[in-house]
Amino acid sequence: MSSVDLKIMRGKVENINALPTIPSTLKRLSVLIEKPKITLDEISRFVANDPALATKVLKMVNSAIYGFPGRISSVSHAIMLLGLNVVKGLLLGVSVFEIMQKSMLGLWDHSVGCAVVARLIAVKKGLKEPDEVSVAGLLHDIGKVILLLEFSKEYESAMEDAQTQGVIISEAEKDHFAEGHANVGAWLAEKWCFPRNLIEVMGNHHRPQLSRIAQTETAIVHLSDIIIRARGVGFAGDNSLPVINAAAFEMLKLTEADIKEILKEMENSLEETEDISQA
Amino acid sequence: MRKVSVDKLEPGMKLAKPVMAASGIALLGEGTELNEKRIERIRDMNITAVVVEGVATQVVPKEEMLNRLDARFKNVEDKPYMNMLKKAVKEHIEGLYE
Ligand SMILES: [Fe+2]
Ligand SMILES: [Fe+2]
Repeated sequence: MSSVDLKIMRGKVENINALPTIPSTLKRLSVLIEKPKITLDEISRFVANDPALATKVLKMVNSAIYGFPGRISSVSHAIMLLGLNVVKGLLLGVSVFEIMQKSMLGLWDHSVGCAVVARLIAVKKGLKEPDEVSVAGLLHDIGKVILLLEFSKEYESAMEDAQTQGVIISEAEKDHFAEGHANVGAWLAEKWCFPRNLIEVMGNHHRPQLSRIAQTETAIVHLSDIIIRARGVGFAGDNSLPVINAAAFEMLKLTEADIKEILKEMENSLEETEDISQA
Repeated sequence: MRKVSVDKLEPGMKLAKPVMAASGIALLGEGTELNEKRIERIRDMNITAVVVEGVATQVVPKEEMLNRLDARFKNVEDKPYMNMLKKAVKEHIEGLYE
């Protein structure tokens, strides 16, 4: 089977706001955040016009995924505490929730789980912006959503290949697409004006050795993706596990005891995030 | 901690997580002990379950969970650090059933 051409793939990302498969909330959000200098006011107004979206985002920020359980009352308050990029990322996350549920059941749980684990590792490693790392975890597989929506036949045969050959989905994608979901995610992050480090994390989460400016963050999301799959939370498009990149793992200097502690904390946080989507 | 659906709440249970209003504001804080009145208040809210203290009952039997774990690791067990990860996850899963 011939694989989807790079230009066609990029074209879909460039024109995401015009694609009929994309739900209207996500389109409107996308139009808003692709402006390089978006203000707190603009975001607040956008969310105020969509109460369901506001409720979901506030549930997220008040959950254990972030550090402020039960204390954030408004979206502008959230932006002040968490920063614009984190709130932008959360808005995207909750806006793709429904498409995730429809196009790949379990991808949302995989994404939230990865976000939770990534934040726990970032805190453990003393990173300055654990919430940004968490958002990178939440959005790391967003490229899969676009591929599933726009090239569903090709993506489904990639998933079938992954199943029959016992390989991970990002390997199977190579026979069907000129670029994998990680790069598609990075293109989107770029389009939505996320900072360079976040773009790098999304693009390199399956090959952390290529990261230059965000090596630690990329290593964290790379490992979180594997930990959450190893625990069996959610579904990411295949039934195998990616292999840990040894250099990335060694850079993080985590012990087996650290991992067990992270798993334990993750379990508690996940209990709480279960009903975020039911807002 | 464990999740209990609102119709199975009983006085004396202790909240392990705050109960939130739709706005995200905590109405009942972590550690609150439930009584009839508080349970009624929770039931009036638009939520299905709350998190209370205590050990969760697992839905999937332990054997099945460990079989699935083996299956997931089948192709990668011999790769660096994957064995360590498997051991950590296995012990973690076993801990969920204690
Ligand atoms: Fe991925
Ligand atoms: Fe993933």
